[in-house]
Amino acid sequence: MSNISSPASKSDQALSLNMKLLAHHELGGFGGLGEGISMQIDAKGRRILWLAHESAPKNFSGIDVTDPANPTLLVQTDLPHMKLRSNSLDVAGNILAVAYQASAVGIKPAGVDLFDVSVPEEPKLISHFDCSGPHSRGVHALWFVDGKTIHMASGAGDFEPTNPLDDQFYRILDVSNPSKPFEKGRWWYPGTRVGDSAPPPKRLSGIFDTGFRAHNTNVFPSHPDRAYVGYIDGGAFVLDISNPSDIQVVSHWNHSPPLNGFIHTLLPLLDRKLWVVSDECVQDNGLDWPKLVWMIDARDESHPLPLGTFPMPNPEAFVKRGGRFGAHNLHENLPVPGSFISDTIIVGTFFNGGVRVFDTSNPLRIEEIAYYVPAAPKLSPAGAIQLNDVFVDDRQIVYTVDRFTGGLYILEMTI
Amino acid sequence: MSVFRNQLAGKIPVTIVTGFLGSGKTTLISKLLPHPQMNRVAVVINEVGEIGIDHDLVTMSSENVTLLANGCICCSVRTDIQETLRDLFARRQVGEVFDFDRVIIETTGLADPAPLLQTLTSDTLLEARFRLDGVVTLVDAVNAYHQLNETPEALQQITLADQILLTKTDIAEEASILELEQELNAINPDAGITRVINGQIEPDQLINLGLGSTKVDLRSLSFLNSILENRSGDEAEGEERYLGNLIKKHPNIKTASISFKEPFTWQNFSSALDLLISLRGPDLLRVKGIVNVEGKPMVIQGVQHIFHNPVTLEKWPSDNHDSRIVFIARNISAKSISNLFATVREIQ
Repeated sequence: MSNISSPASKSDQALSLNMKLLAHHELGGFGGLGEGISMQIDAKGRRILWLAHESAPKNFSGIDVTDPANPTLLVQTDLPHMKLRSNSLDVAGNILAVAYQASAVGIKPAGVDLFDVSVPEEPKLISHFDCSGPHSRGVHALWFVDGKTIHMASGAGDFEPTNPLDDQFYRILDVSNPSKPFEKGRWWYPGTRVGDSAPPPKRLSGIFDTGFRAHNTNVFPSHPDRAYVGYIDGGAFVLDISNPSDIQVVSHWNHSPPLNGFIHTLLPLLDRKLWVVSDECVQDNGLDWPKLVWMIDARDESHPLPLGTFPMPNPEAFVKRGGRFGAHNLHENLPVPGSFISDTIIVGTFFNGGVRVFDTSNPLRIEEIAYYVPAAPKLSPAGAIQLNDVFVDDRQIVYTVDRFTGGLYILEMTI
Repeated sequence: MSVFRNQLAGKIPVTIVTGFLGSGKTTLISKLLPHPQMNRVAVVINEVGEIGIDHDLVTMSSENVTLLANGCICCSVRTDIQETLRDLFARRQVGEVFDFDRVIIETTGLADPAPLLQTLTSDTLLEARFRLDGVVTLVDAVNAYHQLNETPEALQQITLADQILLTKTDIAEEASILELEQELNAINPDAGITRVINGQIEPDQLINLGLGSTKVDLRSLSFLNSILENRSGDEAEGEERYLGNLIKKHPNIKTASISFKEPFTWQNFSSALDLLISLRGPDLLRVKGIVNVEGKPMVIQGVQHIFHNPVTLEKWPSDNHDSRIVFIARNISAKSISNLFATVREIQ
């Protein structure tokens, strides 16, 4: 086969298995989307998909996906300036929480906005919670599912990190009165704040030093005393948050070193006592390979045992497609109306590896059962699809977004 | 929290194209290959050279694989089909060939398709990655009578067919075509019969013949149609169908439709089936059915002693929860099959 080059390495080639493209929406030319996808079922019974944009000038968009084959853009908002991004959002009931991260420390606004989206076409700002500061870029990711509490990866005005890469830590906001949010708890990796008694953590070398800071901070209302936190180069943490003013580490697992860091998400499969841990690929052309999804046995949560990794397509073919190739966001079983919830089927995005679906019924032999890799979107600077995030609704419709230009892809799973 | 999963998702469907010598398989394949709908299809051919692929359509070729401009992968058999399929899947996995989502295999003219079906079921790698979608049999309307009576493989190809394509109907007499259609229908009443002239067919006619999903949707229902149709008005339960001309031509082959009201346990159903296979496996030409196993609908399919893994459907396709099984068998009466199952159930 030496004279047949690999079709999978060609970015103009869409690849699919058991997934069918129902619709593609380019969001009016602003198709670069971040890590926030959430679904609202409004008073009229419509399904509104809220999407956070990857970068300025757009803030967030609301799309009516009641008929998934005919998505309609209802609203698209702008950021106040170009040094801001709204990477993450979540909607609970009719309240939309949006995270703002600035391109450098000291820039305002940076924090969380709460909007009333009772009328999705007209989001109304309720309040802004300020997280800016001389050493803070604001909020990178947030989790908001119960309508009362936001768990987030955020800097703070009073937090000076020992290394500038470690500025965002785990914070809990009480938003039960959405017009007056306040912090009710925080935790950071010991040694990452100036004044800590613990020494600063030993960093990964060279390009792999991406920071000891929080990324996804998941708390399931059915298990309110646990926070499942991806802490990037610091690994995966399970925290006891039963007393928010005295958060304790229950468990810590990390694969790096020897691997190349950046643990992004810890998704617990609560009834099965398993954890799914995803990395994030942050280098183009396979420079930080392998970036994987891990299955962890957590029967004893203080002694997590890695069982293996999810099967991945051949990296030699995919790293040539352009941009990043490797794990990133998972559908996180958001405990909200309209969300797909499964403790066996896991859906994740892998940048140029597309969106992939796995059956984890046997955690020792995880099976890939579906995938969709869109062809390179027009004008994409990566020259290939870069699927960034995914949400699955309870109709098993998959919504996945491109990081640069491709916008929203709506897919049907036939699994 | 657990989601009902289609057990067949992720398996690549395989269509087997078989047919009598000179029935026009090569013509059919050569017309099929450049069709736009053949993108993402891998066609396994015994001898690519015989097809005469237009060189303008070939984008890349090497060793035994040729890629066509429409995205179709044309693959010639090197050692055997088992090896060829394993090799194709491995190349798909590493991205060396397009991620084809369907395979069409052309068998040699005189082949009995049963060993190939057996390979797909018993090879661990192939069974995990592929599923039989169906068998398409080409029948030459001019020479079929002779071939049917002279070659046992020809009869086997008819028995195993999910779809029969009748070729050369433009040069055969209408009366004899009608008679042939009756005979084919008598041997295998479940197979559709389509007349084809000069290999002109749509790819759709070769696909979605078998059970494609364990979810009860239009596709799975179409596979089960013949079983689900309520035939009890036409025939008594446990009786063979009226076989017409077949009685004089193929007196040993009988189609038995059997139904059971009482649900089975998997143990008593599989024990009875195992016993039947061990006693008369070679004579079970074709078996398919939907079985009530402790209330759940389970689809079974088999050829001689080879049975696919049983597949549980998401739900019953209708209110009728009886077990219904069709046997095309040589010299076995419906009554004796029915009695065997009843006896095993009693003993257990």
